[in-house]
Amino acid sequence: MGTRAGGSSCPHVVALKESRGLDTFRIILSNFVYCRSPRARRLKAQSCICHDCATTADRLHCCLDCVYFGCYGNQHIQEHAKSHRHHLALDLSYGVLLCGTCGDYVYDEDVNKVIHEEKYRATQGTHANGTVAWQPSSNELNLLQHNPKRRKITHNSTIGLRGLINLGNTCFMNCIVQALMHTPFLRDFFLSDKHECLMMQSQNHCLVCEMSRLFQEFYSGCRSPHVPFKLLHLVWTHARHLAGYEQQDAHEFFIAALDVLHRHCKGDTDYSNHHNPHHCNCIIDQVFTGGLQSDVTCQACLGVSTTVDPFWDISLDLGTSIAQADSQDILTAGFLTAGASAITNGISYTSTSLTDCLKRFTRPEHLGSSAKIKCSHCHSYQESTKQLTMKKLPVVACFHLKRFEHSTKFRRKISTFVSFPVELDLTPFMAHRRNGLDTFSISPGEMCPTPASNENRYSLFAVVNHRGSIDSGHYTCFIRQHRDQWFRCEDDIITKATVADVVNSEGYLLFYHKQLVEYE
Amino acid sequence: MADSERRIKDAQMRATINQKLVETGERERLKEVLRTKLIECGWRDQLKAHCKDVVKQKGLEHITVDELVAEITPKGRALVPDSVKKELLQRIRHFLAQQSNI
Ligand SMILES: [Zn+2]
Ligand SMILES: [Zn+2]
Ligand SMILES: [Zn+2]
Ligand SMILES: [Zn+2]
Ligand SMILES: [Zn+2]
Ligand SMILES: [Zn+2]
Repeated sequence: MGTRAGGSSCPHVVALKESRGLDTFRIILSNFVYCRSPRARRLKAQSCICHDCATTADRLHCCLDCVYFGCYGNQHIQEHAKSHRHHLALDLSYGVLLCGTCGDYVYDEDVNKVIHEEKYRATQGTHANGTVAWQPSSNELNLLQHNPKRRKITHNSTIGLRGLINLGNTCFMNCIVQALMHTPFLRDFFLSDKHECLMMQSQNHCLVCEMSRLFQEFYSGCRSPHVPFKLLHLVWTHARHLAGYEQQDAHEFFIAALDVLHRHCKGDTDYSNHHNPHHCNCIIDQVFTGGLQSDVTCQACLGVSTTVDPFWDISLDLGTSIAQADSQDILTAGFLTAGASAITNGISYTSTSLTDCLKRFTRPEHLGSSAKIKCSHCHSYQESTKQLTMKKLPVVACFHLKRFEHSTKFRRKISTFVSFPVELDLTPFMAHRRNGLDTFSISPGEMCPTPASNENRYSLFAVVNHRGSIDSGHYTCFIRQHRDQWFRCEDDIITKATVADVVNSEGYLLFYHKQLVEYE
Repeated sequence: MADSERRIKDAQMRATINQKLVETGERERLKEVLRTKLIECGWRDQLKAHCKDVVKQKGLEHITVDELVAEITPKGRALVPDSVKKELLQRIRHFLAQQSNI
């Protein structure tokens, strides 16, 4: 009897659509299932309770014919349907329609359409990796039917792995491209074809469109190396300082590439116009932008002036060399007692870790007597201390280890080993953590008793390495393709690697992604 | 405290917590986290395959959503990884700890 799970619409829904339409359904949906406002949520919290047994659980349903909420578990909504002949009710957890008379949930295309529309409306403005399932259009359904082959990244697949031909010292570009191609959130964005080009007159010049094409190339399943001449050409036209066949700095290229991508997302061809990344929600800023808090404390009145600036990456000092550092610094940093030290060019550097670098980065720094700042509290020029912390963590965190030293006297590369973890927790470097407590006297384990500590956890997915000297060298990288499958990319050559290979390498740029992406 | 009294207190507490979760939108957030976690760990694919088997076995015209739910619930519950349960529990605890007026 009646409609079955896979069947089409029941006669009661057909009658409803013909007589009253789906307006009531939509109103209930937008108020009690996919709330559009805090007001609607409050109302939902107060009124969602079974009118018969007062339960708030047990799958509450709402009658479409009268003001009645009833639970499914104790049969109250079913009994209501029978006794009042009010056939249809709406499931308040998922928004689906139950026909009490036919005795099953109804599968109806018009109803489903309303559900998807309301769900989408409620999640609009939330994160791009949001919550709305993809609904293929009839055109897309057609394409899917005619192209039944699906590609999936499985344990031994090579999808997403593609070498890049070196076009003459372009390894700096190749390894950044590899890192971007394996950034999960960018991949999701580009492979779902979300870039809507705003570069009306010059789509040919849009670097974002070129990224889209590159993702297609990388995930096409084709295994021969790709020749990135179009990309190189675009980089040369849009970031002139990188043009020419000389070796460039991979970090500089990374930042320049993000900048051009961010500008092209906005359809901006006017280079003088600088957008504030703070207020930008282009895919680049959604993924890479974090907020760095700077607290300047006046030594006279102890007043604190706080500013927050956006960042795309964090450049980290590897620690001052023994020869240069003043003794005060050495003592406070515990350098003399630290373990192994490496000798490079006759100058001693202590081997260090990413965590140490981050501690140094977020440590209060005395600005010195020669750098007096006008205090906004006591309005006089005073000595002060400055401390940097992370106010907003980016979805993808890029750490740049400052291996290249440029000073008036010398230029050199620091080859010190810097250890870095596969999983990183940034909680200790967050702004709210640092206020008023000396975090580093407590071990990280004791420090984060808060249960939601995984919110600030990151996984490593790409590492860019540089070998050789500051003047002649070569860039390679490691990328994570699938779960813990690592590969080493050296231009057009890709080889399998182990996690140990990765963490023992001389890292230059380290890319981590958030393990848990919140939607706002 | 008498048993019945405790039961009433428990029910009241549960209702208050539920109300807070709904009001703040946390319930939707938790649902979303859970959904993502279950997809990531393969739970959804496994269960979907199981559903398909059940439907094939019984025939599409001879099964209601209710019957399907009853059939897959035990397996569905058993397949949820402990780590997912733990994480969700931690998130709920964390949320409650932040609520001053409960
Ligand atoms: Zn009830
Ligand atoms: Zn009714
Ligand atoms: Zn019906
Ligand atoms: Zn474009
Ligand atoms: Zn932007
Ligand atoms: Zn002052």
